[in-house]
Amino acid sequence: MGNSALFAHSMQTWIGAGPIWVWAALSAFLIIYLVALPFGGFATYVERKVAADFQDRVGPNRVGPYGILQFLADAVKMITKEDFIPDGADKFLYNLAPLLVVMGACSAFAALPLSKYLMGADLNIGVLYILAVTTLVAPGILLGSWSSNNKWSLLGGLRGAAQIVSYEIPVALSILPVVLISGTLQVGTIVEQQGWAWSGATTGQYHFWNLFHNPFCFCAAFLLFIAGLAETNRIPFDLPEAESELVSGFNTEFSGMRFGLYALGEFAEVFVMCAVLTALYLGGWHIPFLNLDQMWIKFPEAIIILVQLAMFSIKTLLLVFVVMWLRWTLPRLRVDQLMGMCWKGLVPLSLINLFGTAVWMWVFNGRSLAQLLFGSGHG
Amino acid sequence: MSETAKIVLAVAQLLTVASALLVTFHPNILYASVALLFTFLGVTVMFLFAGADFIAGVQVIVYIGGVTILVLFAIMLTSWLYQIKLRDTRKRMAIPFLLVGIGLVPFFYKAAEELANRVLSSPPANFEAFAGSPKTNLIGEALLNNYLLPFEGVTVLLLGALVGAVWIARPR
Repeated sequence: MGNSALFAHSMQTWIGAGPIWVWAALSAFLIIYLVALPFGGFATYVERKVAADFQDRVGPNRVGPYGILQFLADAVKMITKEDFIPDGADKFLYNLAPLLVVMGACSAFAALPLSKYLMGADLNIGVLYILAVTTLVAPGILLGSWSSNNKWSLLGGLRGAAQIVSYEIPVALSILPVVLISGTLQVGTIVEQQGWAWSGATTGQYHFWNLFHNPFCFCAAFLLFIAGLAETNRIPFDLPEAESELVSGFNTEFSGMRFGLYALGEFAEVFVMCAVLTALYLGGWHIPFLNLDQMWIKFPEAIIILVQLAMFSIKTLLLVFVVMWLRWTLPRLRVDQLMGMCWKGLVPLSLINLFGTAVWMWVFNGRSLAQLLFGSGHG
Repeated sequence: MSETAKIVLAVAQLLTVASALLVTFHPNILYASVALLFTFLGVTVMFLFAGADFIAGVQVIVYIGGVTILVLFAIMLTSWLYQIKLRDTRKRMAIPFLLVGIGLVPFFYKAAEELANRVLSSPPANFEAFAGSPKTNLIGEALLNNYLLPFEGVTVLLLGALVGAVWIARPR
């Protein structure tokens, strides 16, 4: 499919021959073990440290310098903990549910544009693919909650499913303005267009970050962030967990590594959400006001990969920090407030943004604010 | 098509048929709807092999993210629904079932023959290139040019459904 399996292809050409599926499987393992798992583990540590900072505590400080190895200790604890299945639980679904969550969250990593040359697969339908695979999380939560034979869990699961299905709509509607601007669903192309060119013939190709493309996009990015928070069940939208009402919500009965899988899935989803926002609105791997491809010297590919990877990670991790920051700032919404906000607030607003972007594209002939201000005479 | 692709396609087809049979014959409605999820996944893979990547994405979002969730939701909200065993034990249905099955054989045979004639004997030129090319904009243009009337009809229908849902759920 297009230049899908981009990463597997380049690994094949760099390292040598071998059937493509070996490299595809290998890159899947690399994504999970080098990106998703370490991020999930490290995020639990950072989350605790951030929480401690906000509450004027020290936080984990015993394992390793500054307690940085705490997540390894946690992992060992989770793996060695008793694998407990409650009485009357539906064993098959109980086993399946955490796997669906992790599968949905980790598959999305395949289409994340970490760098121009470092990308699992630059699919033709990249944006749609990420939206699609992350919907697998909802059945995971719903089935896990039902199968553990606990009414608190079931309540949490039902809330989670309703929330995820509802907020899918503002998420999709807030992504559409970008698709409208770029004219493609391919994440690589969308990011590439968000570059910067001071002057010259290439000004028309680059329209700077989509966040600043037009005022409607600016609003759409914030809507995407808010709706994404609800999609990933983070505070202030953590109604499926709601520990003050529902014990621990859908994952109450899950212990040991099964609970670990749920937690990993949630953190992976947060990363995916922030990465999507980075790629679609914040220019992805681009350095602001600088274009690595148009410099006076030609950088080797490896350096470009590293710089772009660093840029992408900085933007994404800053957003992840904001997610954690909100956790200790905002109180949880009520169920009816949550639904009201989605259907009466976010959906109409994102429709207005979509329409506004369409009008902007028509009036200004598809040129962005940056192009109108700096790129006169080109494009 | 490479050997690996053939294996993947075969696995997807097996998954689709096996889980579809489970949907039909499993006595527990909850398991049947979970099996339905895997049927949809299998169909998605087959869409991908047909070069319809956009439809595959929509298939996952609408059928797994929407329909399956709603089915599960409805089952879990009606507390007695997953305790009853769904099994048709009426023996007298066997003969009509068999007759209808035999009656359908010619139609299926004709359809398979047609498919073989149209697709397999003369595959579209450059199918690999076509499958890899972006088609989303083609779909968009087709919907807003040639098929504008049915498209608008569907949107009005959906709007009617939405308004109806709000009307049913209105506070009384």
